[in-house]
Amino acid sequence: MQDEYGNKWAYRLKWAYLLLIVFTLMSPVFYVMYISFNENGFGAAEYVFTLEWYAVIFTDRLMMNALSWTLALASATTAITVPLALLAAKFYKATSRKVLTVFLLLSPLFVASDILGSALLVYFKNLNRAFGALGDMLGVGWFSGWFDLGFTTALIGLVIYTLPYAFIVILITMGRYREQQTEAARACGASGWRAFWDIEFPQIRAGVFSAGAFCVILSFNEYTRTSLLKGGFDTFTTVLVSQMLNEGMSEQSYAMSSLVSFIAIAVIGAIILYTLLKSEALAREARAKAQPLMAE
Amino acid sequence: MASPTEGDTGRPGWAAGVGGRSLLGRLQRWAFYLPVIFLVVFFALPLALTAVWSVFERTQFWMEPGFTLFAYENFFTSARLGNFLSSMYHSLIAVLICLVLGFPIAVFVRRRIPQVAQHRVVLLFILPFMVSEIIRIFALRPVLQRNGLVNDTLIQLGVISEPITSILYTPLGVIIGEVMSFLPFIVFSGFLAMEAIPKYIFEICEDLGASTFRTFRDVILPLAAPGIFAGSVFIFVNGIGVALLPNILGGPGAVNAGLIATQAIAALDFPLAMAISAIMMGTLMLLLYIGHRLFDLTRILDPIS
Amino acid sequence: MDVERPVAVEVSNLSKHYGSVVALNGVDLKVYAGEYFVLLGPSGGGKTTLLRTIGGFLRPTAGRVLLHGRDVSDLPPDKRPTSMVFQGYALFPHMTVAGNVGYGLSLARLPKEEIRAKTGAMLEMVGLKGLGERKPHELSGGQQQRVQLARSLVLDRDILLLDEPLASLDAKLRKDMCLELKHLQEKVGITFLHVTHNQEEAMTVADRIALIVNGELVEQGSAREIYEAPKKRFTASFVGENNLLDGVVASVSGDTVLVDVGAGTIAVGRGDLSLAQGDTVAVSIQSELLQIASGPEVGDDRHSLTGAYRETVYLGLTTSHRVTLANGAELTVRVISDAGADATPAPGAEVRVQWKPGAARLHID
Repeated sequence: MQDEYGNKWAYRLKWAYLLLIVFTLMSPVFYVMYISFNENGFGAAEYVFTLEWYAVIFTDRLMMNALSWTLALASATTAITVPLALLAAKFYKATSRKVLTVFLLLSPLFVASDILGSALLVYFKNLNRAFGALGDMLGVGWFSGWFDLGFTTALIGLVIYTLPYAFIVILITMGRYREQQTEAARACGASGWRAFWDIEFPQIRAGVFSAGAFCVILSFNEYTRTSLLKGGFDTFTTVLVSQMLNEGMSEQSYAMSSLVSFIAIAVIGAIILYTLLKSEALAREARAKAQPLMAE
Repeated sequence: MASPTEGDTGRPGWAAGVGGRSLLGRLQRWAFYLPVIFLVVFFALPLALTAVWSVFERTQFWMEPGFTLFAYENFFTSARLGNFLSSMYHSLIAVLICLVLGFPIAVFVRRRIPQVAQHRVVLLFILPFMVSEIIRIFALRPVLQRNGLVNDTLIQLGVISEPITSILYTPLGVIIGEVMSFLPFIVFSGFLAMEAIPKYIFEICEDLGASTFRTFRDVILPLAAPGIFAGSVFIFVNGIGVALLPNILGGPGAVNAGLIATQAIAALDFPLAMAISAIMMGTLMLLLYIGHRLFDLTRILDPIS
Repeated sequence: MDVERPVAVEVSNLSKHYGSVVALNGVDLKVYAGEYFVLLGPSGGGKTTLLRTIGGFLRPTAGRVLLHGRDVSDLPPDKRPTSMVFQGYALFPHMTVAGNVGYGLSLARLPKEEIRAKTGAMLEMVGLKGLGERKPHELSGGQQQRVQLARSLVLDRDILLLDEPLASLDAKLRKDMCLELKHLQEKVGITFLHVTHNQEEAMTVADRIALIVNGELVEQGSAREIYEAPKKRFTASFVGENNLLDGVVASVSGDTVLVDVGAGTIAVGRGDLSLAQGDTVAVSIQSELLQIASGPEVGDDRHSLTGAYRETVYLGLTTSHRVTLANGAELTVRVISDAGADATPAPGAEVRVQWKPGAARLHID
């Protein structure tokens, strides 16, 4: 609802400020993208537009290897986090201890990545020792190395990182869903899971997919926790960082960074656009509901 | 308090109606506790244990269970303490800058933008977040350095004749990096906090003839306080905890708690790393507790629940 | 001696607590098969809680729910022989009307042809023929409730629960749908258990009504019994437009009780109450059974009270006359409005309000 008597110019000024801030926040990224198209790399006097660095990415074995590990991690994380977030959202709606639940679910946001990473690293090492000792006692080799630093441990770290975000997105989407529909489905004879799958999920699908996309992007971009917990292999972010710290950014690193950023922005942009279009359709429906046909 | 129109609370499984009295049914109901169990086992527990490990004795490659305050002594008496405290100070400045720059945006979106568009505008601030933090922080180098974008532009525009060197590899560089990385969070949490404020409150203020300042001080600030506080804590904690910031932008010798901890791990001094973690957790708990007493942070959840 | 009628729904000592809040307190109820039973009461009084517990959406804290004699207290809603119609927003928006109605049948894995046939027949029965391919949001409020009815009835279950099904409809539509519900129930012949706070709705559809207030069953009976001969003071205050006078028993002789109501002493039939002098009682009289007397009091008439005329309220069909008694209590006299207005007493004028012996009723609680 807009302020009819408000100052038009103040409004425009504030909008301009808002966009300026967004642009400023994005500007380093845009600059990197700009550099990535330059044949002569960073700082060169002459700017020649080229796509060759993007092609080089695909021949860089190190980069490709890291990318595949990262993709695997991102997919696995999403596959675990989204169902967990769904369960958590349902749990939150039903439980009476809401404050405690949400505090626990959102607290990973407030713990810095290095701190969590370090704590988990020591925790996993200790768990390995404990399980190893247990295995020795029982005479089984079954327990050894469950929590060796590797894919599993990195996965756990990423799930903890992404869970709060997925939880919030799904919770907000569920906010629009009416519980009566689940009850009506139960009254028709559907079990709890059937009611969820047939009735609730189709309506929260968009939110679940957004949460999934969010998880993928977050996992892709994550550095600290991954680097501390991953063990031997390289990921997209760790390769970039080790290059940055040692040799300085190579041209294909600029290209790689730009490519990933561009894809991530495109995905989120698509989601925003989709909700824009969807809300137009929903608004039409809502208008139809508010003024039902007078013909009975 | 539950109303009769809700399902049975306190029993998530019953409300979802899964399972019956069979063992499989009971297991299905316990599935709802999975996220909580996961977080307790892999999040709460490790962090709580950092306090325990921090008093262990250091060995060459690992640590011995024991009780010694050596790590803490080491930390508090060394130069690290000074660095730690100054990194806190810098983080605080970054929080203030974020508040000044970002909170007015949240207010603007809440007050002046039509309800249906509000979420989408706030989502704009997710865009920078979609780019990896390492890229964003690294990208500041070619922007802020001696022959970087900022200096080049300013020299070309004739504003300065010599490049500014104090914006990179200095505390200021770290602060700039923090603000650039975390400003969106003030917009999010400020907006979320104000979503709890119904729009008619602002109309009433205008009706009563309250000035912008009075409205801000007496209405917006108290109602949005929990959100502002939560956002500030987030930025503060991440500012002192993310090792990359001083590592990339801070110049020689710049550290924050996160960097000290990672360096300790690299040096295989685990008790020290754990001590830092424990101190950080303690600081976080203290801040959240103070905030809750002052502002009742549970109010942030009103729009969601 | 009647033959025992089969009981469709029985609730035995049913209680529901939310922490320290008591939503239902030891309710006992029997609903016979094939009757249209209404739970009536003020908002928040527990009637919806009772219905939802019978339906399986709430678990009792104590007591049992029996459907057709079987204890179902531990069963979830999908395992009970009930179906339910909700107040609103309960149609599945992503399915067509036919999809909604056929949902329960598809869960039961009936063959597609059978589902289609049954759905079509049911839509016709509720008056929605040809609307099967529409989406819920394209229908009016009344039509949406009919879809819900179709969806529930097509399942062929014996007990239909209705949770304030007409609350979101406007007044005119509500009146029409009420009658339709009644006719539908007579046609289908199953047990309907209907919750509402609207008296007129309750009286239109119900075979029997139960008044649920503060989690307790206050009184139950047919519409006529509840309206004309309420036993409890609360029933009299809730159903119809009754005048309530609180007083003390002055004397009891045989079947007549003399009650001092502060503004005078009146005679009331004792009914089957046992009373002694000094007991606190209440007297209720329907406002349409009072008259403004034309002449002076005749003899020791214990069936009238004197007061000062206060105001006239014209309501179309009826006109209410308000009279203030000597002790400050108010009486409302309701009459069918006369075409040519008689001389109404002037405000403040002394008037006598009278009633026929037997119109007044006695309550001890």
